[in-house]
Amino acid sequence: MIKIALAGNPNSGKTTLFNALTGSSQYVGNWPGVTVEKKEGRLKGQPKIVIQDLPGIYSLSPYTPEEVVTRNYLIHEKPNAILNIVDASTLERNLYLTSQLLELNLPVVVALNMMDIVRKQKDKIDVEALSRRLGCPVIELSAASGQGIDEVSKAAVAAALGKKTPHVSEFSKPVEDVLSSIEVLLPKSEESRWYAIKVFENDAKVLDELKLDPASLKKINVLREGLETEMDDDAESIITDERYTWIAGILDGVYKKNRTHTLSISDKIDKIVTNRWLALPIFVLVMGLVYCLSISTIGTYCTDWVNDVFVPEWCQANMTTFLESLHASDSVISLVVDGIIGGLGAPLGFVPQMAVIFLCLSFLEDCGYMSRIAFIMDRIFRRFGLSGKSFISFMVSTGCGVPGIMAARTIEEERDRKMTMIVTTSMPCGAKLPIIALIAGAIMGGADAWWIAWATYIFGIFAIILSALILKHTKMFAGEPAPFIMELPAYHWPRVNNVLRQTWQRCWHFIKKAGTILFVCCVVTWFLLTYGFTADGFGMVDEVGQSLMAAIGGWIAPLFAPLGWGNWQATAASLSGFVAKEQIVSTMGVLVNVLDETGEDPALWTAVMTMFPSAWAALSFLAFNLLDAPCLAAISTLAKEMNDRKWTWFAIGWQMFYAYTVALIIDQLGTWFTGGGFGIGTAAALVILGWYLYMIFKPMKKSVPSRVGMNAA
Amino acid sequence: MPLCFAKENTNYTISRITGKDEVRSHLRNLGLVENETISVKQSIAGSLIVEVKGVRIALNKDLARRIMI
Repeated sequence: MIKIALAGNPNSGKTTLFNALTGSSQYVGNWPGVTVEKKEGRLKGQPKIVIQDLPGIYSLSPYTPEEVVTRNYLIHEKPNAILNIVDASTLERNLYLTSQLLELNLPVVVALNMMDIVRKQKDKIDVEALSRRLGCPVIELSAASGQGIDEVSKAAVAAALGKKTPHVSEFSKPVEDVLSSIEVLLPKSEESRWYAIKVFENDAKVLDELKLDPASLKKINVLREGLETEMDDDAESIITDERYTWIAGILDGVYKKNRTHTLSISDKIDKIVTNRWLALPIFVLVMGLVYCLSISTIGTYCTDWVNDVFVPEWCQANMTTFLESLHASDSVISLVVDGIIGGLGAPLGFVPQMAVIFLCLSFLEDCGYMSRIAFIMDRIFRRFGLSGKSFISFMVSTGCGVPGIMAARTIEEERDRKMTMIVTTSMPCGAKLPIIALIAGAIMGGADAWWIAWATYIFGIFAIILSALILKHTKMFAGEPAPFIMELPAYHWPRVNNVLRQTWQRCWHFIKKAGTILFVCCVVTWFLLTYGFTADGFGMVDEVGQSLMAAIGGWIAPLFAPLGWGNWQATAASLSGFVAKEQIVSTMGVLVNVLDETGEDPALWTAVMTMFPSAWAALSFLAFNLLDAPCLAAISTLAKEMNDRKWTWFAIGWQMFYAYTVALIIDQLGTWFTGGGFGIGTAAALVILGWYLYMIFKPMKKSVPSRVGMNAA
Repeated sequence: MPLCFAKENTNYTISRITGKDEVRSHLRNLGLVENETISVKQSIAGSLIVEVKGVRIALNKDLARRIMI
């Protein structure tokens, strides 16, 4: 098996090239032990050649987990060749990574992407001279228009088969002298130059790996400190400067800039979009449009079609006819048609809505607006101790919490990443929409309650900010978020292929979950509701009140009595929500004997309202189910991303505590204000509310910033 | 002077980046190094969008204060 690693800066067109090279034969997973996405694919027409898509990085330093993953892969797994994609329109900056890749003693091919833009700007690059100076093949490419893909593919394969070692970058004499003195002290290996540079830079991860003897370490320290004093700079900066000097030398006479310094179109758009006064209104408008498309128009039409036509008329009706033709018994038909197809049909109904949200978000990501949102929101979020990058995670969570948690990866500061992952699932995700519709309908008694959905989103954002503020005032999370640095790619029209592919991958993840976890859940719920202990012993029961579910619910219910809904039905519905939030509505439907999965049936509203003594209790139920620990799929993602059992349990514990107390405050204080009595519960609610307010308003403790990007091994 | 006082769309040369930490190394990896030309493209209440080596980079106020021109 021949492996070619695809490496390059973020925004260099790597995804487009990867998609073009591999077509549909892609495998998406995670790098072991870390939260960085791993993508592999087979080269089109060459099934024996695997393209390994490496994360987009700027350098092989250990600043982010992505960088650590990439360099570990390149050093230890040794692909047959590196295909380095380079954005030719920002050649100098991109060659910085190339200079490091060339040190790894592997065949390298440079693909000069965005050559069309370079030509449009009337810049000139002497590709042959560049190839000579870099010592490796350089191929012109316009990945977006597909020009040069075949040549790149051929060159990469040729490089992987040949064993040409590219020559290494050359630094100034004093630096080279020190590096060669260090190289002698290191264990012999093919990548000794790379190791020498990293050891010189005092790279903790490499030093751990090499386990040098104290004598050599001492010698190296003397060498490093000597040069640091001589050049009046720290080792890392010395190397950075040497690299940029080397690049300047390489490009001298090869790259002719013809650029006039005027504002590009992208700058002009930014003048408006990131304008001090217009930025927020424009953002609200864009998000309004996204939710209008997904929740109230296109998404809803499609969801209604799935719920009303696709599942009942196409799947269920045809399956019934088919099973009847086989003379299946009534109970089998009921199990397959109502139990399995009906049960799985409920979550399938959200797929269109979720797909539209993901489509819009992928579009915003691909065209470059998402990074601007992070920049705009950073100003506001920083006041609450959160980075603007957290906001991307919150936005994605309005579709589904699973990719939302994964989107937190871009946050450099470990502490902020954890906090974002803990609070982000409180956003009302697609699966929570039916609960909102149901409770809104139940409270309003059928009156038009469209504004409740909007109010819930605003509630979600406020709940997140308050939760973050409270956490930020504890010792664990105190401290400034990492300073905001982010490259803003030039705006461009998104590639349809990339957007659709990403939307599909995210939706597929959800469908897979629906097919596995939810399937089991349907069967278990059905079992718990139909079986129970009666006077005749264990067996099928006629009334749900005698079922196992009622017994379990009744046992836990007193716990929720202070929240206003201490009955077994509401408790059982909430319990089923841990498996999947959309399950809450179908469980309630079964409990009150009205079958409806969208939460929009007036008969269901009236029936459900009988579960709650007051509107406050219903609101408290809604708040609890919005804020509490997310569904199993999100929890398992959280556990994977946290990579630490203690933190996972802390996250779940905090989510439960926060949800419980907010629901308590809503029910107790609401009841009290509307003329209810004052009891222990009211006092407890007041105490907790007071503590929250104290936590939010007390001055923030300063602390030493924690190490960034340390969750990679 | 610190970068936050720079005029928009004017070329400056970076003279120094203060502080010694990982953020500084990351800035350098992104192309913000001494003697490099930098220009501010957009400034919103202290947060900046700057151009370095033909790339647009967004920085918050605290970072803008650490870059001397």
